[in-house]
Amino acid sequence: MRPPSRQSHGDSLRSRRLLLAGALALPFWRVTRAAGDVLHLYNWNNYIGDATLARFAAACGCRVRQDYYSDNEEMLAKLEAGAEGYDLLVPTGNAVESLIRRAALRPIDRERLPHFANLKREFLDPWFDPGNRYSVPYATSITLLGFNADRMRALGLPTDSWALIFEPECLEKIKGKVTVLNSQRELMAAAMRYLGHSVQERDPAKWEAAKRLILRAKPWWATFSNSTYIKDLAIGNIWVAHGYSNDMFRAREDAKAAGRPFAIGFATPQEGAVLAVDSFVLHRSGRRPDLAHRFIDFMLEGENAADVSNLIGAGNTNAAAMAHILPEIAGEPAIFPPPAMLPRLEMLRDFEPRLRRRLARMWTEIKVR
Amino acid sequence: MKRPNIWLWTASLAVYAFLYIPLAVVVIFSFNDSMLNAEWVGFTLDWYAKLLGDGEMLRAAANSLLIALLSSSIATALGAMAGIAMHRWRFRWLPFLVLTPVAMPEILLGVSLLLFFRQVLDLTLGFFSILVAHITFSIGFVAVIVRARLAGMDESIFEAARDLGATPWASFRRVTLPLILPALVAGFLMSFTLSIDDFVITFFVAGVGVTTLPLQIYSMIKVAVTPEVNAVSTLLMALTLTLILTASRFAPDVLRGRQ
Amino acid sequence: MNATRWLVTLPPTVFLLAFFLAPALIVVAASFREPGEFGGLAPFVAPSLEAYRFLFDDIIYAEIFARSFLVAALTTLICVVLAYPLAWLIARSPAKRRDLLVLLVILPFASNFLVRIYAWIMLLGPVNLLYTPFAVIAGMVYVHLPFMILPLYTNLEKHDPALLEAAQDLGASAWTRFWRVTFPLSLPGIFSGAALVFIPVLGMFAVPELLGGTGDMLIGNLIKEQFLDNRDWPLGAALSIMLTVAVLALAGLAAWGARRGLHGTEAVS
Repeated sequence: MRPPSRQSHGDSLRSRRLLLAGALALPFWRVTRAAGDVLHLYNWNNYIGDATLARFAAACGCRVRQDYYSDNEEMLAKLEAGAEGYDLLVPTGNAVESLIRRAALRPIDRERLPHFANLKREFLDPWFDPGNRYSVPYATSITLLGFNADRMRALGLPTDSWALIFEPECLEKIKGKVTVLNSQRELMAAAMRYLGHSVQERDPAKWEAAKRLILRAKPWWATFSNSTYIKDLAIGNIWVAHGYSNDMFRAREDAKAAGRPFAIGFATPQEGAVLAVDSFVLHRSGRRPDLAHRFIDFMLEGENAADVSNLIGAGNTNAAAMAHILPEIAGEPAIFPPPAMLPRLEMLRDFEPRLRRRLARMWTEIKVR
Repeated sequence: MKRPNIWLWTASLAVYAFLYIPLAVVVIFSFNDSMLNAEWVGFTLDWYAKLLGDGEMLRAAANSLLIALLSSSIATALGAMAGIAMHRWRFRWLPFLVLTPVAMPEILLGVSLLLFFRQVLDLTLGFFSILVAHITFSIGFVAVIVRARLAGMDESIFEAARDLGATPWASFRRVTLPLILPALVAGFLMSFTLSIDDFVITFFVAGVGVTTLPLQIYSMIKVAVTPEVNAVSTLLMALTLTLILTASRFAPDVLRGRQ
Repeated sequence: MNATRWLVTLPPTVFLLAFFLAPALIVVAASFREPGEFGGLAPFVAPSLEAYRFLFDDIIYAEIFARSFLVAALTTLICVVLAYPLAWLIARSPAKRRDLLVLLVILPFASNFLVRIYAWIMLLGPVNLLYTPFAVIAGMVYVHLPFMILPLYTNLEKHDPALLEAAQDLGASAWTRFWRVTFPLSLPGIFSGAALVFIPVLGMFAVPELLGGTGDMLIGNLIKEQFLDNRDWPLGAALSIMLTVAVLALAGLAAWGARRGLHGTEAVS
C-alpha cells in the first residue's frame, strides 16, 4: 500500500487543470444565435442543395436550420416519443401515413402553394394521403440492383432480374460479392416480387415462401448492408448490391470520379420493385407553418425542384423540374422509370401489429439460421 | 525499482499498434485527394479547407467537445461519490442502481429518457437534455473504476485520519482523493470518449438545432462519408491531445515524476 | 459520520433515480402493453404479457441470447489478454510517462466511431476478413479495449512493488510471482474491466451490423430492429428488460464470486 504522497498531490493539481482545460474549449463554441425567423427542417442529409437553401434564405429573409435523420423509422421513433419543434419533415409514403394516423401533421393550405400545379399527375392523390391534404410529393427512389458492370459482362450474368441475388446458378459466380439490404421489408419485398407476389400481400404462406427463398440464397451473400455497400461497390469489394437507386447513383459517380477501372451500373429488375416517394409534410409541433408553406412553394418551382435529381440522382415528382435536370439523369430508366415499368413498382405499406410481429419473427430466423 | 522488461514493451507496443493502425488510416485518408479513399491518390489539404467552411460541422464538433467536457466532469464527480459509497458503506442496492444504466441497451435508454423529458418533465430538448443523458450513462463507468481502485485498500488509513481528528472533508482531501486520483483521471477519460462518441442516445434526446458530431456524421452515412469526416476526426483528436497536454503542462509538479 | 455518508451517497443516487430509474420504469411498463397500429403503443386496456409470451415460446430468441453472451465472453477474454501487459507497463512507468501512456490509450477514441469502423472495413476488406465473425470480434475488442485497460491500470498502479521484490528475494520465479502475487491482487481490476466490456458488448449493434456477415445477428441488433425497423416497442422493451435482468443476475453472481475470491487474496497480501 503506497501512502498518499506529495506526488499524488501533484496528481490532484493536474486533474483540476484537466477540468480547467475544458474552459479553453469555450471560445470554440458559439452559442446559437437568437431566434428571429428560423425554419426548422428535419430532413435527410444532402436532400436540398446549399445554393438552393441560400437562395430561399435570401428570398424570405430568414434562416433555415436542418437536423438530419438517415432512416424513416429513426425519425418516427423520435417524434413518437415526443420530440418537437420541427416545421417540416420529408418522410416516405408509409411514414406519412403513420404520421397522419397518429395525428402528428398539420394540413397543407393549398392556397399558399401557387406552384402546386407543377407536380406530375401520377404522384398526386396517393394512397397514403388521399387528396394530398397533408403532403406534397418531392422526390422518389427505387429499391433495385446495383452492380459492377464490367464483372457482370465478363461473367455473363443478367442484371435486370432478382434472379441475380436469389438464384443459385447466378450466385455461384459471385459468392461473397453480394450484399442485400438489412431491412426486413425491403429484402422480403424483393423476394415477393421475384415470386410474383405483391409486396402488400397479407397471406403468411406466401411470406413463408419468400423466407425460404431468402434462406436458400443467403449462403452466397457477403452481408446485410444498408450503407456500406455504396463504398464497397465503388471500391470493388462487392459486385452486386441490393439497395436504393440514389445510393447506386452515388456509387457510380464516386467510382467515376475516383477513376476506378470499372463502371457501376444499376437497373430495376423486370419482376418489379419497391418505389419510395418522399413528401414534404408539416409537423404539428412546428412554430412557423408560414415559413414552411413558403419553403414548400419555393421548392415546387422547377429550377429548385430539379436540385434533388441533379444532386443525388433522385427521381422527381415535378414536371417543371424536368427541363432543369441533367439529360443523363433525366434519361436514366432506373431513376425515371418508363411508363411500362410503373405498374410493377409498388410502395411499401405498413401492416397491422400482428402481421408485423409475425414477419419480424421470420426475419429473425433469416438472420440467425 | 526494476525497469519493465523487453517482453512487456513488445507486447504493449503490439497493443498500441492494434489501437493505432485503424487510426493511421483515418488520418492518412484525411489528406488524400480522393472522395472514395480506396487507395492513395495524392496529398491535399482540400478536406480541411472544406471543413473550415462547413459551419454546421464545426458547430457540431464544438457542441460535442463542450458536452463531453462538461458531462465527463460531472459524471466523474457523481461516479466517484457512488464508487466511494459502494466501497465504504456497502449498500446492497447501490451497485445495481449504478450498474443498470451500463447494462441497459442504449436504444432503450435513449427512448426512455426522451419519453421522460418530454412526457413527464415537458422539457424542451437541447443542450441540457443531451448533457443529462450523457452524465447518466457515464456515472456507472466511473463508479466501477473508482470502486476497483478502492477495493482491498486498507481501511485503517481512513480510520487513522479520523482518529487524528481530521474533519471528513480534510480526510477526503488528504487521504481519499490522492488515493483515487488515477481512477478519477481514468474515469474522466472514459466518460469523455463515451460522450464524444455517443450516437444512439444523443439521437433521441437532441433537440431542434442542437446537433453533435456523431449525429452529423451518421446522417452522412447515406450521402457517403467523405474524407471531410476524417479531417474533423483528426482535428478533434489533435485538439483533445493539445487540451490534455496543456492541462498537464500547467501542473509542473507532474513533471517531477515519481520518487 | 452519518451526515458524510448521506452527503456522499445522495447526489449520485438522486441523480440516477431521477434520470435513470424513473425513465426506465416507463419502458418497463411499455413492455406490458400492445404495439399501436401505426407505431407507438396501443391504447391501454389491461397489462399484457403478450410480448414476453412471444419471446419465451420460441427457442430462437434463447439462441440469440446464448450466442450474444458467447461473443461478449470471448471479447472480454481477449480484452483481458491484450490489456494486461499494457496496463502493467503503464502502471510500472515513471509518473511523467504514465500520463502520456494513458492518454495514448484513449486518444484514438476521441475520433469518431463510424470513421474508425470505416477504417476497419478498409483494412479487413483486402484480406478477405470483412463480414466474418472474426471481424465482429476484432471490432468489439477494438471498441471496448480501453474499458479493460483503464480499470486494470488503476488497480495495478496501487500495488506495492516491495511485495514483488519480497517474493523475488524469497526465490519465487517471475511466473510464480505473477500468478501468486500480481494476478490475485489485480482481480478487482479485471472484474471491473470485465463488467465494463462484457455488458456493453451485449447491447452493441453497430459493430455486427457494419462488420459482420449474414449470420452475425446479436441481441443488440434484435432490440434495435424492434424500435427502429419494426415499430414494435413492447417487444423491444421486453427484450431489453430480459437482457438487463440476465446481465444483473450475472453481475450479482460475479460479485458474489469475487467477494469469495477477494477473501482468498487478502490472505496472500
